[in-house]
Amino acid sequence: MFDLIINPFITILLFLYQVLGGNVVLAIVVFTVLVRLATMPLTLKQQRSTKAMQELQPELKRIQEKYKNDRERAAQAQMELYKRYGVNPLAGCLPLLIQFPILIGLYRAIVATLAATPLELLDLSGRLWVPSLASQVPLQSHFLWLNLAVPDPLYILPVLVVITTWLQQKLLMPASASSSGGQGDQAAAMTRQMTTIMPLMFGVFSLSFASGLSIYFIASNLIGIAQYAAMGRIDFKRMAGRVPEEDTPKVVDSEAVSADDAPADEMPKRREGKKKAKRAADKPARPQKAQQPAARPSAAMAPIVKPKRAGIRDTRAEPRTKSKAKS
Amino acid sequence: MTIFPLKNKRPRLRLGILLILAVALAACGGVAGGSWAGLSTNQSGEKLFVAYDRSVVALNAASGAVLWEYPDEDSRNAQFYAQPVADNGSVYVGDYDGRLHAIDSETGTSQWVYEPERETLVGPLSPEAPDRVISGVALSPDLVFFGLGSRNVVAVAREDASEVWTFETDHGVWGTPLYLDAESSPDGTPLLLVSSLDHNLYALDPESGNEYWSLNLGGAAPGNMLYDAENQRVYLGTFGKGVVAVDLESASIAARFQTEEWVWSHPALDGNRLYIGDLGGNLYAVEIGEGTLTQAWKVTPTPEAIRGTPLVIDNLVIVGAEDGRIFARIAESGAEVWSTNVEAKVLTELISVSDEDDDTTHIVAGTDKKERLIVALNVTNGEGAWSYGND
Repeated sequence: MFDLIINPFITILLFLYQVLGGNVVLAIVVFTVLVRLATMPLTLKQQRSTKAMQELQPELKRIQEKYKNDRERAAQAQMELYKRYGVNPLAGCLPLLIQFPILIGLYRAIVATLAATPLELLDLSGRLWVPSLASQVPLQSHFLWLNLAVPDPLYILPVLVVITTWLQQKLLMPASASSSGGQGDQAAAMTRQMTTIMPLMFGVFSLSFASGLSIYFIASNLIGIAQYAAMGRIDFKRMAGRVPEEDTPKVVDSEAVSADDAPADEMPKRREGKKKAKRAADKPARPQKAQQPAARPSAAMAPIVKPKRAGIRDTRAEPRTKSKAKS
Repeated sequence: MTIFPLKNKRPRLRLGILLILAVALAACGGVAGGSWAGLSTNQSGEKLFVAYDRSVVALNAASGAVLWEYPDEDSRNAQFYAQPVADNGSVYVGDYDGRLHAIDSETGTSQWVYEPERETLVGPLSPEAPDRVISGVALSPDLVFFGLGSRNVVAVAREDASEVWTFETDHGVWGTPLYLDAESSPDGTPLLLVSSLDHNLYALDPESGNEYWSLNLGGAAPGNMLYDAENQRVYLGTFGKGVVAVDLESASIAARFQTEEWVWSHPALDGNRLYIGDLGGNLYAVEIGEGTLTQAWKVTPTPEAIRGTPLVIDNLVIVGAEDGRIFARIAESGAEVWSTNVEAKVLTELISVSDEDDDTTHIVAGTDKKERLIVALNVTNGEGAWSYGND
């Protein structure tokens, strides 16, 4: 099955090697750029899903707190929440699953074209879609101090793999909000583990990979970081684990949380909010304040809609945004 | 849209996916041993030498019984896939750490080990990764010549394993160099021929390593060469899809024969005919002309690669293929005589050995299965005679 991906990748890699003057590193980098561009729609979808899930965290945490002794009710409330906001929790993983065979195919193509051993070179013989590219075989595997077909003897590339993978992970998985305990802490801990474990894991593997593969991983990570930067999504404060105070999760539909879900002491205000939401529902949807002020707000939140009725003041903590509620 | 609650399983799911990916990458991406066994005999044909994985083994050619193994079990820290070469009581074989071993052919004990010097930066750290010895060795009266997997040819003194010279190539030397002494050489001076993956054939001075001439073959040449003393030619297979005949007197290409797929090994020579297999499973008989190589017949006994050199014996042309079959064809016409499936890839050279006790000739081949690493077949009917496993 993978041959359907590997063979064209090998052909493309050899073609790039030919047109780029026989430079293997350049061919790998250009090929990585092309693959990242082709999978950008999937990457963007994954990012949007991650962002949406992050913005729902305060609501999820509140549901977990309220129903910590009733898993079924909590699950049901979570389902309703996802449904109302149109968020699919799997959406962030599906792009990764789709990219999985592409990543493996590219990986195998690089190993095959470097052909460090007789069996690898023999295997390459039946994979060229363009027979004339046989004149490029085998690829010139030396670059600076590196023999690209064997691991880096100075361990520089594995260190770079660790660093760039960690940097990209920090961008992909922003710091979760602090919480008083429970499953929110577990999620945050799991995220931190992934951010730590995965770079180390790839670093360890790079010790035994052909260094040409390490170059691919480094190039892929750097290109991913550049993609984020080009989209204006690099937040160095968030990378450092500090989330700006003014950020609150964006609430798309003020009816998303029913009155039954609210703590009892907030019921009067919730009633008021519900009435406003009803009136707001008659109009084009506008972003609303979150019902729970405890969460750290998002930096990208839309302006707050001012209450219409005189005398009603929203006493919840107000974000430092341009809009203010009238007194 | 059905959305099921994952609670906080999403990070775990992603971590699980990434772990699976990591395992898959680890399984796919590590540098592999990656070759078939190196197979050869001593001059009398009584012993077989097999280099595979972490040892070199000597077998009784008639029965497959183990005579010795090198190195000792406690010392097995290298991989051996190069073709061993026996001469004058010693067996020479390279390993995948760039070392060359000289082994006593009677006892299997080490005579010496050549290890290349590597430049170091700090402590054991060196910018030079160990290179692999994939080729066999060529021998002059006092030097051993062998190629390295990524590039270069090295000459080492037979007496004390001291390095004498290194000749730089642009890519690996996987084929065994060819040494021609003064009597065999076209101009009466010793000559060392080296084929490389950089598409060139080099002619060197064996004593100094200096280049006499080089010739572009039009494709990578990973295999060994065939020396035709009568015509003063060498024949090589190339990845330029064909066999090249090089005239040693004029240092030029005398003729080419085009095949359908890449050719790894050199052809077999019998009289005025060459027999060659390509990686597409085609087997050719080629007539040698004045300046031409003309096809006599072509058969396609298998869709899989024929990697090794055909063996011509008793008017039969015998080849092994990647699909696990060994075929015997009539040399004159290409008609099939027998075909045996050994159920493992046959990628090594084929060797014929005679069993004087029962007056039979066996074809010996290496496979890619450790439990049947070496198989011997009766040349007349392809029936199995014995096998050797390296578990």
